Amino acid sequence: MCNTTDINREMGKHEIALNYCSNKHAVQKGANPAPKLILDGEVVEFVAGDTILQVAERAGRGHLIPRYCYHPGLPIAGTCRMCTVEVEKMVKLMTACSTPAADGMVVHTKTERVLKSRAGVMEFLLINHPLDCPVCDKAGECDLQDNNYRYGPVTSSFLEDKRTYPKAATKKLSEKITLNMNRCVHCERCVRFSEEVVKSCDLMMVNRSWHKELTLADDKLGLTSEYQGCLSDFCPVGALTFNDFRFVKRSWFLQRHPSVCDGCSKGCNIEVHSEDNIIYRFTPAYNEKINGHWICDTGRLSYHQVMDPTRIVRPMLAHNGALQATSWELAQAATGHLLETAKKVKVVIGTDATIEEIRYLQAALPDMFGSKFTFRSFNGTGTLSTSSQDKKLDHLLIMQDKTANLRGAEECKLAPLENGQINDSDLVLLVRFGRSAVPAVGNGQKLILLGVWNSAEQASLGAAVEVMLPGLATVEKSGTYINCDGIRQQFIPAVVHLGEGMAVNRLLRFTKK
Amino acid sequence: MATKTVNVSRPYTWQEKFYLFAIVQGLLITLKHFINGFFLRKHNTIMYPEVKREYSNRFRGSHFISVDKNKTENCTACYLCQTVCPAECITIVAGERESSKNPDGVKKEKRPVRFDIDSLRCCFCGFCEEACPKDAIKLSGKYEMAATSRSDTKYDLIYLKREVKGRG
Ligand code: SF4
Ligand code: SF4
Ligand code: SF4
Ligand code: SF4
Ligand code: FES
Repeated sequence: MCNTTDINREMGKHEIALNYCSNKHAVQKGANPAPKLILDGEVVEFVAGDTILQVAERAGRGHLIPRYCYHPGLPIAGTCRMCTVEVEKMVKLMTACSTPAADGMVVHTKTERVLKSRAGVMEFLLINHPLDCPVCDKAGECDLQDNNYRYGPVTSSFLEDKRTYPKAATKKLSEKITLNMNRCVHCERCVRFSEEVVKSCDLMMVNRSWHKELTLADDKLGLTSEYQGCLSDFCPVGALTFNDFRFVKRSWFLQRHPSVCDGCSKGCNIEVHSEDNIIYRFTPAYNEKINGHWICDTGRLSYHQVMDPTRIVRPMLAHNGALQATSWELAQAATGHLLETAKKVKVVIGTDATIEEIRYLQAALPDMFGSKFTFRSFNGTGTLSTSSQDKKLDHLLIMQDKTANLRGAEECKLAPLENGQINDSDLVLLVRFGRSAVPAVGNGQKLILLGVWNSAEQASLGAAVEVMLPGLATVEKSGTYINCDGIRQQFIPAVVHLGEGMAVNRLLRFTKK
Repeated sequence: MATKTVNVSRPYTWQEKFYLFAIVQGLLITLKHFINGFFLRKHNTIMYPEVKREYSNRFRGSHFISVDKNKTENCTACYLCQTVCPAECITIVAGERESSKNPDGVKKEKRPVRFDIDSLRCCFCGFCEEACPKDAIKLSGKYEMAATSRSDTKYDLIYLKREVKGRG
């Protein structure tokens, strides 16, 4: 949500594209003094070009005006009529989302006429609504439920049969999205999203009024965009639901904590939804400078990597040529012994490590074991090794670099690994957190693995692995990433790690007696 | 603070001192029960387990889940009972019902894959029954819930879907 300090901030072109309309008019120079209007008896300032709803949002009072079709990231449509407010000297009720605010307007959001209109809209919406709440994945975070609880009529005067869409009852629009047409309130957010934001134009409304129906532009193709999960985020009802979350959890059980997506160098802001530290989904968190209201599906599904059952979450030690689970004391002692006795150690840090982790390794290892370390970074997205080679893969968010902190590694003066090959050292400390690829390791070098590894990745390195020290994934730790645009983002743990993994500084602290 | 003791004893009346009256009173009560039980056959106890106690229709006993005519459970795995349960003894895992097993079409697309009630934790408050939007979970009149092992006290979906006549 915007606050008044955001208003004067300059916005780049990319940001305006992300925040399609909410802050479109934010750049206003020389508009002095700011225009004002009276909202429910309180004088609020606004920026010329705002609509009444945006004025209310800027003043932090957006909750006073219910809405279905308005979404700050989408163009304004004004189709649902839920947002009507009373404006003095205007005969009819006005839709707050699409009426431009004017200096000196007097707006009321709670008069009897307004409440009656809202109850009317609610009654009309509920005429044909199936009230599937027990099976609907939206229940608990559904605008229709919330608005009906606040503004809806207690009874319905509709006795006839409800309209149903027999064919489209539940239909998979793609691998990721299921449509239940009976629940749709025809707000057309999804259509505007596909046309204006992701520009895939794969959804459209056919027919009118009673028969209005959401369909795919091409039935065979299905949905094609990389941002399908967003459809289920902003669909105000449970019409579009994300298959990965389908029937998995009821939303009221989930705790929500902010974090940063480490799926690519964009570093989108996310909300981690978990119960008892088991993650059930990622959703986008609004950040006007980075991701706006959206995240891509790959990032959204990347919680599976944190929850991966094959992820190694116990320290392991090579014994008779095979890695076996062990205790931290033994693993740390073995690590200390290896680092002590080796002559030349190469530390290869994936560019998915946080700045703090890189700095810690750079400072602590030579401090503890002397200057036999060479530090290198490894990215592994194709041949990419510096941030200048990184490029956008689409017009919205997705970046080519699939690690989160290449810029941060450069800031720590970490040189990229030559040719992506590790040669000529006795011991290699491989630090990566599940995102950067696994570099090729030449023969005759012992290996210590640290961070987030799954068993396949570990197995790919063969018998050279002496010790495996499990670390924490992004959502489980705190740290700083610098994203592709040079924005520095700090984050704190969103969930508590459920295995035995440890933060890097804790983990290496006891390797030396 | 000084404690003040109040003596509440009183002297016995002469009837109380002459305790034969009380003994006769007691003997009369015994005689009444003897006549009721032995000659008139009116019992206050029953010969359990041959004879079962009749409880009120509103008695809250072991849970069951009602089924429709296809023997499909009415439960749609909405988790409302799990949410409301004060003892936190219900564990549900939801899943999708195969369309072939779902003659009612979209109405029953969601189903409980697992539905466990830990009857040792349950306090038989009946909130789950109250919360259920589908009238699926109910408390039957069954009050014999003793079990010989702990695992038997965990009711699973198969047990919960048992046939219950009336309220059991
Ligand atoms: S969309 Fe909302 S109101 Fe409709 S069934 Fe789902 S939760 Fe209930
Ligand atoms: S599917 Fe959802 S977002 Fe799309 S028109 Fe219907 S209610 Fe709106
Ligand atoms: S009767 Fe009460 S305690 Fe027992 S399962 Fe139902 S809600 Fe829980
Ligand atoms: S028994 Fe009733 S309340 Fe419990 S999950 Fe099933 S439908 Fe919902
Ligand atoms: S929110 Fe204003 S008309 Fe829909």
